[in-house]
Amino acid sequence: MSLTLPEGRLRRVLLGASPWLFFVALIAVWEVGCRLFSVPAYILPAPSVILNAFFDVEFSRWMQHLWATLRVALLGFLISIAVSIPIAIAMMRSEWLSRTLYPLLVVIQSTPVVAVAPLIIVIMGSDDPSRILITCLLTFFPLVVSTATGINETPPELIELSRSLDAPTRRETWQIRMPYAIPHIFSGLRVAITLAIIGAVVAEFVAAEEGLGYFIQFSTSFFRIPQAFAGLFFLAVVSLLLFKSVQWAQQLLFPWSLPRKGA
Amino acid sequence: MAEPAVNRSFVKLAGVGHRYDPNPAIPPAVTGIDLDIHRHEFVAVVGPSGCGKSTLLRMIAGLLKPSEGRVTVFGRAVDGPRDDVGIVFQKPTLLPWLNVRKNVLFPLRHKYGRYNREDEARADALLAMAGLEAFARKMPDELSGGMQQRVGIVRALLLNPDILLMDEPFSALDAMTREQIGFDLLSLWQEQPKTVLFITHSIAEAVLLADRVLVMSRRPGTVLDLIDVDLPRPRTTHTISDARFGELTDRIRKHIYEPDAA
Ligand SMILES: Nc1ncnc2c1ncn2[C@@H]1O[C@H](COP(=O)(O)OP(=O)(O)O)[C@@H](O)[C@H]1O
Ligand SMILES: [Mg+2]
Repeated sequence: MSLTLPEGRLRRVLLGASPWLFFVALIAVWEVGCRLFSVPAYILPAPSVILNAFFDVEFSRWMQHLWATLRVALLGFLISIAVSIPIAIAMMRSEWLSRTLYPLLVVIQSTPVVAVAPLIIVIMGSDDPSRILITCLLTFFPLVVSTATGINETPPELIELSRSLDAPTRRETWQIRMPYAIPHIFSGLRVAITLAIIGAVVAEFVAAEEGLGYFIQFSTSFFRIPQAFAGLFFLAVVSLLLFKSVQWAQQLLFPWSLPRKGA
Repeated sequence: MAEPAVNRSFVKLAGVGHRYDPNPAIPPAVTGIDLDIHRHEFVAVVGPSGCGKSTLLRMIAGLLKPSEGRVTVFGRAVDGPRDDVGIVFQKPTLLPWLNVRKNVLFPLRHKYGRYNREDEARADALLAMAGLEAFARKMPDELSGGMQQRVGIVRALLLNPDILLMDEPFSALDAMTREQIGFDLLSLWQEQPKTVLFITHSIAEAVLLADRVLVMSRRPGTVLDLIDVDLPRPRTTHTISDARFGELTDRIRKHIYEPDAA
């Protein structure tokens, strides 16, 4: 027996639908399993119980928590972009700067942010700025690395072309090197956006009065397990949508940077 | 070519050499190259890989300073990148985010930050001359390798350079495309005369296209021979069956396979 699909249109439909079918099947097994073995809701709530818990919480409360997490994650993400791309460009331009900064970047990257988060909160207070800083610390390294990698992948012939034209370095950077870095920058952005959500949630775990991370922690500590699961799923969906948005942005703004379909 | 090439030296290399490694125990990449290229002459360079052909090209382009000797163009020493030189690389290296026309105009946008209507008209004329007008709005990855390289050549011609430097421009192409694009290059060159330095791995291609062929030795690269290709122009597929064509390619082959015999 082999796992091959029939040919033609049906095949394409099945191929497109199969992740969804799998997901639905998984939920069904979960639901049936919970009921069949009467698993208590404080250990593993059934999907229907989680769904009920989700609607038990008012919509405006969800939006409040969502906004709290989202604004930290997105601001941290944007600041990270604004900081890391110039750093990557500067490191490409100057060997000295690159040698000086790189070890520091590695040290920052290899320090577990989760361990530093409480200190940052203590030092800077439990407001948005410290949460945004935690998010930045988590996201900017992959962005620097992917941008720098992309910049260095520029074919040497194009750099020679630029030099043979005696063009200003600024144009070499913006008309050749940066566009060449776009595919790499976007793979960095996809990693960074999910890390940004993680950063915001970690910061909320340490100290917060709102946010999806706070909501999950708060629900767990009061043994509202179905509610915690509802928060977790909501967070996962939001994170997935953000990840997809980065892909859509690339498709919309830089369609040439994606592999051509059917090629 | 018709006129005798007396004292019409355009690009002059006098004892030119370059070493990448300052360590004197390591031989230089190229050394002691003497060469006079005449105006609108087509010179091909052949030699084993690593013998310094690209190094030679970079020194003529002003991208690399010779560590010995002097390169002069029209009597003036080359001491930096010059805007009367167009370069074509082995890979077409078109920018994947620009369409064909914008790729052709790229040198202007890159050098000056802008281009005008006349430049666009010139780009269109060049594209038409290369049989590419139908592809002007296509993206590079929609073109075959041969078409991409044609665009690369047109791009190099945009600034109307006196000198066209080509570094193994056709070696990534299949044999049939390669022959055709070679003839197309010759007809472009006939319409828009340029001084051409054409590096190639193919002995037959060198003889088929060039007025003279410079044969280089293994590292350190020196001049083994400089061969006058006295085949009539225009060169066509019939040229290949000419007995003289065989003699000339044999002479070069001898240099490459039995370097001491010559
Ligand atoms: N940037 C460089 N730094 C050090 N050595 C180089 C560099 N470029 C080329 N070389 C060396 O110089 C020699 C000639 O190289 P090149 O001019 O590229 O040869 P060719 O084009 O004939 O294959 C080779 O041995 C190569 O390894
Ligand atoms: Mg080479």
